[in-house]
Amino acid sequence: MMKLAKRMNGLAVMGAIMFMVIQVISDLYLPNLTADIIDNGIATGDVSYIISVGVKMLGFSLLSVAAATGNVFLASQQSQLLGKNIRSSVFKKVSYFSNDAIDEIGTSSLITRTTNDVVQIQMVIMMALRMMIQAPIMLVGAGIMAYTREPQLASIFLYVLPILAVFMVTIMYFAIPYFKKMQSKTDRLNLVFREGLTGIRVIRAFNRNKSETKRFDEANKDFADTSIRANTIMSFMLPVMTLIISATNISIIWFGGQYIGDGMMEVGNLITFMTYAMQILMSFMMLAMIFVFIPRGQVSAARVNKVLETESMVKDPEKPTKVNMADKGTIEFDHVDFRYTGAEQLALEDINFKSTKGQMVAIIGGTGSGKSTLANLIARFYDVESGSVRMNGVDIRDISQKELRSMMGYAPQKAVLFTGTIRSNMQYGKPDATDEEIWHALDVAQAKDFVSELPKGLDSYVEQGGSNFSGGQKQRLSIARALVSKADILIFDDSFSALDFKTDAELRKALAVEAKDSVVVIIAQRISTVMNADTILVMDGGRVVGKGTHEELKETNSTYQEIMNSQMREEEL
Amino acid sequence: MRNAGPKGAPRKAKNFWGTLRRLLGYMSSRLLAIGLVFILAVVGTVLQTRTPKILGEATTEIFKGVMVGMKMKEAGQVVEKLPIDFDVIKNVLFTVAILYVLSAVFQYFQQFTMTRVAQRTVYDLRKELKDKMNKVPMNYYDTHSNGDIMSRAVNDMDNIANTLQQTLTQFVNSFVLFFAVLYFMLTISWQMTLIAFITVPLSVLVISLIAPRSQKLFGAQQKKLGLLNNQVEETYAGHVIVKIYNREDAEIEAFEKQNEELYQSSWKAQFFSGFVMPMMNFVKNVGYLLVAVVGGIKVANGTMTLGNVQAFLQYTNQFSQPLSQMANLANTVQATIASAERVFEVLDEEEMTEEKSGVTPIPNSPYKVSFDHVQFGYGDDDEELLMNDFNLNVKEGQMIAIVGPTGAGKSTLINLLERFYDVKGGSIKLDGVDTRDITRDELRSHFSMVLQDTWLFNGTIMDNIKYGSEKYGQDENRVLAAAKAAHVDDFVHTLPDGYETILNEEGSNISLGQRQLITIARAFLVDPEVLILDEATSSVDTRTEILIQKAMRKLLEGRTSFVVAHRLSTIRDADNIIVMDQGDVMETGTHDELMEQDGFYADLYNSQFAEKPAV
Repeated sequence: MMKLAKRMNGLAVMGAIMFMVIQVISDLYLPNLTADIIDNGIATGDVSYIISVGVKMLGFSLLSVAAATGNVFLASQQSQLLGKNIRSSVFKKVSYFSNDAIDEIGTSSLITRTTNDVVQIQMVIMMALRMMIQAPIMLVGAGIMAYTREPQLASIFLYVLPILAVFMVTIMYFAIPYFKKMQSKTDRLNLVFREGLTGIRVIRAFNRNKSETKRFDEANKDFADTSIRANTIMSFMLPVMTLIISATNISIIWFGGQYIGDGMMEVGNLITFMTYAMQILMSFMMLAMIFVFIPRGQVSAARVNKVLETESMVKDPEKPTKVNMADKGTIEFDHVDFRYTGAEQLALEDINFKSTKGQMVAIIGGTGSGKSTLANLIARFYDVESGSVRMNGVDIRDISQKELRSMMGYAPQKAVLFTGTIRSNMQYGKPDATDEEIWHALDVAQAKDFVSELPKGLDSYVEQGGSNFSGGQKQRLSIARALVSKADILIFDDSFSALDFKTDAELRKALAVEAKDSVVVIIAQRISTVMNADTILVMDGGRVVGKGTHEELKETNSTYQEIMNSQMREEEL
Repeated sequence: MRNAGPKGAPRKAKNFWGTLRRLLGYMSSRLLAIGLVFILAVVGTVLQTRTPKILGEATTEIFKGVMVGMKMKEAGQVVEKLPIDFDVIKNVLFTVAILYVLSAVFQYFQQFTMTRVAQRTVYDLRKELKDKMNKVPMNYYDTHSNGDIMSRAVNDMDNIANTLQQTLTQFVNSFVLFFAVLYFMLTISWQMTLIAFITVPLSVLVISLIAPRSQKLFGAQQKKLGLLNNQVEETYAGHVIVKIYNREDAEIEAFEKQNEELYQSSWKAQFFSGFVMPMMNFVKNVGYLLVAVVGGIKVANGTMTLGNVQAFLQYTNQFSQPLSQMANLANTVQATIASAERVFEVLDEEEMTEEKSGVTPIPNSPYKVSFDHVQFGYGDDDEELLMNDFNLNVKEGQMIAIVGPTGAGKSTLINLLERFYDVKGGSIKLDGVDTRDITRDELRSHFSMVLQDTWLFNGTIMDNIKYGSEKYGQDENRVLAAAKAAHVDDFVHTLPDGYETILNEEGSNISLGQRQLITIARAFLVDPEVLILDEATSSVDTRTEILIQKAMRKLLEGRTSFVVAHRLSTIRDADNIIVMDQGDVMETGTHDELMEQDGFYADLYNSQFAEKPAV
C-alpha cells in the first residue's frame, strides 16, 4: 500500500495534512470559546463580551470550513490522480505482457485488478487523506486541550480508552470471521444463480426447476443466516459505544462537580470538557473504522503490486536484426522444445519443420497435442526452451517483437472482435487499408455476402465481443482481418471450426489463390480442412508423430488414420 | 425494457414512491417485527434525547451552588467548599445512567430485530427472483444477456440488502430523533428552538445546492468507469490480437484518454460529495453559536438556567445530526430505489402461459411426433416469420437427421419440440395430442436432450449424472449402468476421487469430451421415448471422439430421435433426412433418395467432400 501511495505528490499530501491540522485546531478551539462565553460572559452578564466571542466563534467556524474544503479538494484530487496513475501503469504493463505472464495471473483477474482493485485503493487513500489524518490529530489535540484545561479530570480517559479498545477488539475478533464467511457464501450464491442462467435449457429439458430452486434456496438461506449472525454481533457496537460515552459524561459531571465544589475548576470548563470528551471518543471510533477498511485496501494493493512486479519472459533483443521475408522467405522450427512455466512435462518436444513462402503447413491432432502452442511460438507469444524458431534463417529472438509480428496475420481459435465498426475491425492490423482492400479480404474470407447485406455495410456497428454476429460470422471476420494486412505469414488457429463444410471448402479454395505469396499455417480438427496442405504435421502429446502429404499419411500413419476413421467411414475414402 | 442501458450508467428511479411502496410491501409480512423496531427506535431515541435535559439539571445544580457560593464570598463569608447539593446531583446522574442503559438496550434490540427483518426480506426477494427465472419464457434469456441478469441479481440485490440493513434503521432513528429533539427543545424554550430551527432551511439549502450536482457528477463518473471497464475487458480478452497486430500503443493511447476523462469526473464527484460534511458542520456551528449567544444573554438576564442552555447546546448538536444523515442517505436511497426498480422489472416480466391449443387430439395416431403446418418466429407477431409452413411426421423408432447451413432453423425445431417456445400457428403433436395440451413438465419427461453445450454444474460427477432424472437418480445401480453405457465409467477411475470428483467452476478438471460423455450418461439415465441430439463438432480428441460416437449410437438404438447432424455417418444412418434452409424444409428423404434428386442436399454433400481424393 505504502509503495503505491509513494506515487502521490508529496507537496499536495503535505497540503492536505496542513489543512486538516487547521481544521482540527479551529474545531478544537470552538469549545474553548464556549467556555469563555459561559465563564466570562454569562457569569458577569456581559452581553457585548458574549457577542464579541460569538463573532470570534463564527470566524473560527468559517476557518474550519475553508480548511475542510481545502482538505477535501486535495484529498479527492490526489486520491483520484493516484488511481489514474496506477490504472495507467497496470494497463501499460499488461498490454506488453507476454502470454506466460497473462497465464500466470489470468485474464479475468487482470481485469479486476485494473478496475475494481484500483477503485478500492482510491477509496482507502481518499479516506486516509481525510479521516486517517483527522482522527489522530483530533485525538491528540483534544487530549492536550482536555489535559491543559483540567489535568485531574483528564485521567478519566486513562480508564475509558482502554475499555473502549478492549471492547472494539473483542467485537472485531468475533465479527471478522463471519464477514469473511459471508464473502464465500456470496460467491456460492452467485455461482448457483449463474449456473441457473447458463444451464437454463438443460434445466428445463430435464424438468429440474424444483431441484434448482432447492439448491438456490440452500445457498440463499445459508447466506442470510450468516449475515444475520455477523450483523447481530455488530449490533453490539453502537449501543455499547453509547454506554461508554454516557458513562464518561456522567463521570465528568460527578468528578467535575466535586472539583468545582472544591473551587479547583470553573463551571464553563465542565461543558467544554464534555465536548472534548466527545471528540476524543469519536476520533477513537473513527480510528477503529479505519482499521476495518485498511485490510481491504491492503489486499487490493497487493494484487495490483503483483501485476506491476510481474516481468514478461519474452524480451526484445538489445540490437535487433532486420529480416527480409520478401522473395523466398522461410520459416523453420529447429529441434524446438517448449515447456509452460512451472510445468513438469514438455508441451512441445523436438519439433522440426521448414516451410517456404507459397506453401501451406497444416497441423492436425487431438486436444492437448500442442497444435496451438506451436502456433504461439511462431508469433513469439512464448519463448522456446531449447532449439530455435527462424525466419529466413534469423532466430526470432533476434528480431524485435514489433517487426516479427508486423509480418504476420493471425486468426485465433476464438474469434475476437472489438467494439467499433466492421471497417475499424478490418483496419486493426493495417490502419490505412482502403475499402477495396477490405472488401477483397472479406470476399476471400467468405464474409462479403453477409456484410454487404447489412444496411450499413462496412460501417455496421460491432458490439462488445462482436456479440451481434454469429460464431461463424465472427470467425470469417477474424479471418478477413488477418488477410487485410497481406502478411508474409498467415496463421489460422482452428479458425475454421464454426464454419459449415461448404463455407470451409470455399474459403480454402479462395485462400489458396490469395495466399500464394505467404507461408500459411493452418491448425485444424477436420481432415477435409488439411488434406490439401503441402505438409501436414500430425501431432500427439507434444510431438510430431507424422509428417507428409495426405496421401502419404493416409497410408502410413496410424494416428492420422485414427483421426480419419473417427470422421468418415472407411468405405467413403 | 430490453435495453438495460450501458453498464454503470447513472441510475435514477423512474417511479420513486411507487417502487418504494412496493419494496416496503415485501416487509409487510414482518409488520409485527417492524412495528417492534419502530417502537424500540422511538422509545430508545426519546430516552436518549431526554438525557441532555436531565443531565442539564446536574449542571444547573452545580452552577446554582457556585452562584450561591460566590454570593457568600461577596458577602465576605469564608467558603471552604462551595455549597453544591451532591445528593441532588447523585440522583440526577443515577436517573441518567438508567436512561442510558435502557436506551442502549433498546438500541441493541432494535438492531437485532432489524437485521432479521432486512436479511429475511432480501432472502424472500432473492427467492422470488429465482422462482421467476423458472417462469419466464425462453425468449427472455435470448433478449437479456446473462451479464445483465446477473448484475440485477447480484449488484442490485446487494444494494437493497445493504440499504435495508443499515439505512432503514438510520432513517427511522433520524426521523424520530429529529422530532424528539424538537420536542425537548420546545419544552425548554420556544424562542431558542426557533433560533436553532434556522439551521433547517440552511441545511436544506446546502443540500439542494450540492446534491443534484454531485449526483450528476457521480452519474458521469459511473458512466466513465463503465466505459473504461469495457475497454479494459476488451483489450485484455483480445490480448493476442492486440499483440499480433502491434496495437499496444494505440490501445494505451485510447485507454489514457478514457482514464483522463474518468479522473476529471471522479475527482469532482468526490470533491462535491465530500463538501457536504464540512458545509453541514458549518451550518451546525452557526446554529450552535446563535444558541450559545442568545442562551448566554438569557442566563445573564436570569430568564434561563445554565443547565438548560447546556442541554440546549447538546440538542442543537443532535438536531443537525439527523439532517446531515438524511442528506447522506438521500443518495443511497435514490440508488437503492433504482436498484429495486431493476429487480422489479425482472419480476414483472411476462410469464409463460398455459393456453390450451383447441386442437382435437387424434386417437391412435400413427405418428409419434408430428409437425402440422407449424408457423413460428422469434420476434413479435408482426415481424417476419422464420417458419411459415413446416410439416413433418415421425413414426415411432425413426431417426430423423436434420441438416442445413447455419441459421437454417435446426435449433428452432428443437426449441419448439421441447416447448421452449410455443408455435405461432399450426400444431405440434406427441402421440396425436397437441403439445400445448400437455404440461411442460409432463411433455419434457418424454424427451431427453444432449446438446453441444455441455452444461454441468459445480458438483460431483455422480450428482451431475443423477441430474438427468429425479426419479431414477435415486437408483444407484441405474446411475452406474448409465455411466457405463456412456463410457463415463472408463475415465472416472483414472480420477483420484472417482465419481465423487467435484467439477470445478470452469469445468477445467476434465476434458471437453469427458464432459460430453457425462451429458450422454444423463440422457441414458432418463431412458426417454424421444431423444434430441445436437451432435458435437467441437474440438475433442480422437479417442474420446470415438467413445462419444459409440455412446451416442447406443443411445439412439431403437429410439425415436431427432439429430442435428454434422457427421456423415449419422446422416447416412438416418431413416429420414430433413434438409432445412431459412426455416423451411427444402428436401426430405433418405441419403440415397436425396443424392438422386441432385438438389440442395447433393450440393451440400458434394461440397463437403469435394476434395475427397479418389481411392
